Amino acid sequence: MDMMAVATIEHDAELMLRVREGDSQSFALLLAKHRAPVIHFLYRMIQNQAVAEELAQEVFLRVYRSRASYEPTAKFTTWLFRIASHVALNHIRDGKHERNQESLDQESDEGMSRQVASEAPTVEQRMVREAKFEEIRQAIELLPAKQRAAVLMHKYQEMEYSQIAAALECSESAVKSLLFRAYETLRAKLAHMAGRE
Amino acid sequence: MNAKNNQCPMQNGNAEILLSYCARSLEPEQTAQIEQHLTACAECRAWAAEQQTVWAAMDAWEAEPISADFDAALFARIAAAERTSAWERWTSPVRQFFQGGMGWRPVWPAVAVALTLVIALSIENPFRTEPAGQTVKLEAQEIEQAERALEDLEMLRQLEAPEEETSL
Repeated sequence: MDMMAVATIEHDAELMLRVREGDSQSFALLLAKHRAPVIHFLYRMIQNQAVAEELAQEVFLRVYRSRASYEPTAKFTTWLFRIASHVALNHIRDGKHERNQESLDQESDEGMSRQVASEAPTVEQRMVREAKFEEIRQAIELLPAKQRAAVLMHKYQEMEYSQIAAALECSESAVKSLLFRAYETLRAKLAHMAGRE
Repeated sequence: MNAKNNQCPMQNGNAEILLSYCARSLEPEQTAQIEQHLTACAECRAWAAEQQTVWAAMDAWEAEPISADFDAALFARIAAAERTSAWERWTSPVRQFFQGGMGWRPVWPAVAVALTLVIALSIENPFRTEPAGQTVKLEAQEIEQAERALEDLEMLRQLEAPEEETSL
């Protein structure tokens, strides 16, 4: 871990300790910094922006309500993503995810037809991009929820194995196993994209 | 991994280092060792190429823009939760009692205090009054005694009356 990372740990933890003392301005700073990563993580987990934002509010609400018991024992980001993972995995476990996904699929189809009808000059390029995006989205969606969470934290949040392990409450070797299985599946599904566009 | 000895990460179960290489999270020295190894190992080269394709594909998946009112909605939710929380703190014991969450245990001290008060007041009560039935009974006895006294006076009067007649 480099010095910059250490400084970040201290700064976020310090802000959270100030929140614990009743400083709401520090909470606003933490929110400004971590809002986008949390929402993007949840969006890629659930694949529905409205639901992702709803769940992100739940995450930040839990952060705020946990302020009294907060102890800076782990990196703030790790603690935050532990909450976010819990919220996302619970949402998926409760089966709400499938219902959201159905409506998303309908929206995608409608969106595609609208584009075909109204933007004829760029339709081919757009359709290729849409198809690629759809392929990536589906490949990630088909991963088991825990593998998906591990991959998203590794790829987009650039979290270390130890942080992902803490967030998912499992061992580092379990995280390595989750990641290798997940990337193996993704390689099998997406490797043919090499050299495309 | 020891690239100089041509040890293959795929062969010695250290594919993790290849993953880190593709994620560009290795130190420069390790990156150089892997790149040297890749020139000689077709298997690792193919693996890394596929992984980099996946990585690039995932980069193309952009996140959606965030709603402008996200913060406002969150702060409103926090304020509502705080109000609920304060109300719950105040009403929690009552709600738990009625929901049976606390059982009967907390009631026992109150029952014990109430019983003690009842016993203490029944033993030494400055405001104690006689029961209504007893009062009626006492009043009846007094009336009976008064009637008996009147009868006795009447009998004495009758006894005195013949003596008066005799003296006349």
